Amino acid sequence: MRFFIDNLEVLFPYPRIYPEQYDYMCDLKRTLDMDGGKAVLEMPSGTGKTVTLLSLIVAYIQQNPAKRKLIYCSRTMSEIEKALAELKALMKYRKQELGYEEEFRGLGLTSRKNLCLNSSVKREKSGAIVDARCRALTAGFVKEKKERGEDVDLCIYHENLDPLEPDNLIPNGIWTLDDLLQYGEQHKQCPYFTARRMMPFCNVIIYSYHYLLDPKIAERVSKDFPKDCIVVFDEAHNIDNVCIESLSIDITEDSLRRATRGANNLERRIEEMKSTDAEKLQNEYQKLVEGLREAEEAREEDAFIANPVLPDDLLSEAVPGNIRRAEHFVSFLKRFIEYLKTRMKVLHVISETPVSFLAHLRELTFIERKPLRFCAERLTSLIRTLELTSIEDLHPLQEVATFATLVATYDKGFVLILEPFETDTATVPNPIFHFACLDAAIAIKPVFDRFGSVIITSGTISPLDMYPRMLDFNALVQESYPMTLARKSFLPLIVTRGSDQGTLSSSFQIRNDPSVVRNYGDLLVEFCRLTPDGVVVFFPSYLYMESIVSMWQGMGILDSIWKHKLILVETPDAQETALALEAFRSACNNGRGAVLLSVARGKVSEGIDFDHNYGRTVICIGVPFQYTESRILKARLEFLRETYRIRENDFLSFDAMRHAAQCLGRVLRGKDDYGVMVLADRRFQKKRAQLPKWINQALLDSETNLSVDQAVSQAKHFLKNMAKPFPPEFQYGISTWSLEDLKAYQAKLEEEEIRMLEGEVGPEAVGPNRVVDEFDDIDEEALMALDP
Amino acid sequence: MSRTALHNDVPERIHPEDGDEECPICHSKRYLRRDMRFLINPECYHRMCESCIDRIFSHGPAPCPVAGCGKTLRRHRFRAPTFQDLQLEREVDIRKRVSQVFNKQEDDFDTLLDYNNYLNDVEDITHNLIHNIEVDAMEQRLREYEAANRQAITENSKRSNQGMRDEKRRLASEKEQARLRQQSAASEAQAYKAERDAARRNVISQLATGRGDADTIARRGQTVLKKSKALREQYERRPEPVDTGFQVKGLKKTVKAGPVNPYDPFDGLTAKHEYGIVHDNYRWQPLEQAKKDRRIMAGGYDIDEYCSRMLTDLYVGFGVFVGEDEDVATAGAGMAAMTDTVMTDVS
Ligand code: SF4
Ligand SMILES: [Zn+2]
Ligand SMILES: [Zn+2]
Repeated sequence: MRFFIDNLEVLFPYPRIYPEQYDYMCDLKRTLDMDGGKAVLEMPSGTGKTVTLLSLIVAYIQQNPAKRKLIYCSRTMSEIEKALAELKALMKYRKQELGYEEEFRGLGLTSRKNLCLNSSVKREKSGAIVDARCRALTAGFVKEKKERGEDVDLCIYHENLDPLEPDNLIPNGIWTLDDLLQYGEQHKQCPYFTARRMMPFCNVIIYSYHYLLDPKIAERVSKDFPKDCIVVFDEAHNIDNVCIESLSIDITEDSLRRATRGANNLERRIEEMKSTDAEKLQNEYQKLVEGLREAEEAREEDAFIANPVLPDDLLSEAVPGNIRRAEHFVSFLKRFIEYLKTRMKVLHVISETPVSFLAHLRELTFIERKPLRFCAERLTSLIRTLELTSIEDLHPLQEVATFATLVATYDKGFVLILEPFETDTATVPNPIFHFACLDAAIAIKPVFDRFGSVIITSGTISPLDMYPRMLDFNALVQESYPMTLARKSFLPLIVTRGSDQGTLSSSFQIRNDPSVVRNYGDLLVEFCRLTPDGVVVFFPSYLYMESIVSMWQGMGILDSIWKHKLILVETPDAQETALALEAFRSACNNGRGAVLLSVARGKVSEGIDFDHNYGRTVICIGVPFQYTESRILKARLEFLRETYRIRENDFLSFDAMRHAAQCLGRVLRGKDDYGVMVLADRRFQKKRAQLPKWINQALLDSETNLSVDQAVSQAKHFLKNMAKPFPPEFQYGISTWSLEDLKAYQAKLEEEEIRMLEGEVGPEAVGPNRVVDEFDDIDEEALMALDP
Repeated sequence: MSRTALHNDVPERIHPEDGDEECPICHSKRYLRRDMRFLINPECYHRMCESCIDRIFSHGPAPCPVAGCGKTLRRHRFRAPTFQDLQLEREVDIRKRVSQVFNKQEDDFDTLLDYNNYLNDVEDITHNLIHNIEVDAMEQRLREYEAANRQAITENSKRSNQGMRDEKRRLASEKEQARLRQQSAASEAQAYKAERDAARRNVISQLATGRGDADTIARRGQTVLKKSKALREQYERRPEPVDTGFQVKGLKKTVKAGPVNPYDPFDGLTAKHEYGIVHDNYRWQPLEQAKKDRRIMAGGYDIDEYCSRMLTDLYVGFGVFVGEDEDVATAGAGMAAMTDTVMTDVS
């Protein structure tokens, strides 16, 4: 359908649109119109967020002469592929409607591991090795060698790109990753480098978060994007963790040992080069005298290492004199590594700031802060000069260099924690030196600073104001959309008591209490009995899951579940889990149904959808709090409190609730889907306000604070209702709009606006067929607090 | 400086990784004696166990027992190594020595390039010392530089010591403040909780005693709770705690103009005699007499003053300074040239 928002014509590839999709588009457009607009938008899962987003932004790009670029970031490969497919369908629809094919390019980028075609390289299992082997075949100096007549291997897929027009390596249009692979196979050209090199000429780029947030990669891949790009982070509820992880480094004794070996290798190579090709070293030396920027120019499209961003002024500065010479630099690195080794010998936990770390380092080894900052860049340059493509143990060395650069660059928002023992009870030391980033804002700051519009969106991103606080930015638009439904298609329940009125809770004091465990077991048995097809259960942690399941075994609860459903369990091992999922699916498909026991922070809760018969009931056993004894978490909590005034408990409960909401969202993947969502813990009662609006709004008071038997009868009733046929026509005009409905709505809005301007009606009257019930959170909480 | 006597025939590798397990002298193993401690002597960096040291060196200096070493060692110079890698232990000792001499800082130089070149040169010397390349020449340079720049060296080290102390003090106070903030946050949270619990108990006890209508009591309880909630929100909005310890951060480092000169009321105008040297004593009859003559000296007559005036008169006539053009100018140039030679010598 085609319609206008203000004067922007949107082509939407479906005949009907959801009301919340329309609202979402309006807010998006508002954000794009603003200069430097940042938005946090929460749209219920299963309401076509991606297609809404794409159709509005594509329309916006195509209508404006500025032709802004869209950078769309998602988390996983499958999400990227899905988004590309949606985009392709959208462009096809536009072609149909407009009658001609637009000049519009869209590409996705993922790692070489997924895009490589070279039969010998792509066989490698680890992504790092694929990268390294590819570099060995494609680096600039390898080619030079070839031209000089030396016998070196090149990748033919890469070579075939060279004769092509650099801005037209692949025809106009949208290419999904699969398409790209096929095209590459047909034309014998490397899909990875095709995508990389076409990036500046694309209108839409879809790739993973890391290409933008991880400063080590972003510098390389995303540096040249123009300022007016539109950046979208989809499924962004975990964005703060991605930011933090991208700047955190863990160092172990083993990695230090290997780093030493790497440094020794480097030393050897330097000696070799000195005797054979001293000129090259001298050249490098000359360049470094001038400054990094000069040395930088020689950088290839894909140099060996990725480095963390350095502040701009540093890049143009000359490398400190005492690490200019190659041999000086290597001995500098070795000294630093030895120092770290010495630190690892300590047998008690140490937590310190970068500043005190640097002070101690200086005292002991005379390493100053400044050369340390240049470490990573200097190493890159050295490796390039030595023409190394891959030598053993280089990776740990890079890690150490990156660590050096980071620790010397940032003195706020980081903490160094040395944990000599793996667990509190262990006696054999296995030290880990954590360099932990505490401030999510650091990694994302360049993105906010550089790009005009940044949109952060997800199905569950409540409470909205937490994100601007944590990421330290100003959200001009913050919106959470309720879900419009013609019939209530999901039933959230908060179960606080067992049938015997005993409390249900995973809180530490009572979690192993047999009566609590039995009550949880009863709950599960009951729901397995009444739910057709799939049931998904989420536990707060593997540990808890293990202990509770073994207790259930003893109580005979597993046996009673067994009567109704197959039991499958998620494990930390990805392959085992994949198998379990497969078995789960086939059990659901053949009608027997199954129950999947999984963990709220595991893979299943984040990336796997349980639509339709795969998930009719989801049960959250206990509030999925983080493990608070972790020292890094403690440091982060303290940082959040000190810097952003976010209290520990608020953050923990926010974090737990966003994971809980993620779990709940797993079962509802569309408006024709339905499912029961059970939150089984007494503490959920108080945290209800922190659920996403669309869930909270559907949660009636009569569905909270239930006991198991009450919940069971409600769910029975609900499922019976849902089993009745519900033709899509029933939704027309209410939860899906045709073009006429939409026009009517627009007209109504306009009318109201006019009337409002005339001062007749207050602003409350907007939004005719949606009733949004606002809670008074304070009263709510106070009431809860009274409940003993 | 007692460590200047580093010899250049240090063994190439000094027990790399495993040296901690067995004493190379008496071969006793850590496995049997848990509390074994290894010490080294910065003469030769050979590692040996404490009991060996007691045994061998308690009667005064003795040669190192390690085969082929034989250096004379003294007991009091043994110490525990900081690093496992003794090569590094030695390197750090050398660095320490070098950095005590070459302690110029970036703002001593006109351009960054100069500074970097200086660093490069220093590193060259250090590197050679560590790897036993032309040690004698390097030691020579080190000594020469030290002799030529003694004053600058002491000043710089004073400066950096001061800087380090300041830094330490700042760190300590920051830590203390973080602790205080944490404490106050914890106590606030506790107070909030206590208040809430009290309110809740209050309501329950009122309900239990059954006086008054249940609804009103509950409602009254709620208002109390609301108040505490408001209190809590107030905490969230509370402004950043103000630093009490007068810690202004982010200030540009104040540029100290070298060593601080005492206040000079004449603004650089020296009373020192520029032309010629005023001696303490002149053998001249009238002067000798005047010195002894009470009538002259009682009035405060200053012989030195007189001499210097006479000397000035000698050199200065009609505002023309004899020899200024040559002497003063060349003196300045000579100074520059001197430092120059020193620097080039170093490089
Ligand atoms: S150039 Fe492309 S096809 Fe060749 S090895 Fe690298 S990724 Fe594989
Ligand atoms: Zn011994
Ligand atoms: Zn010896």
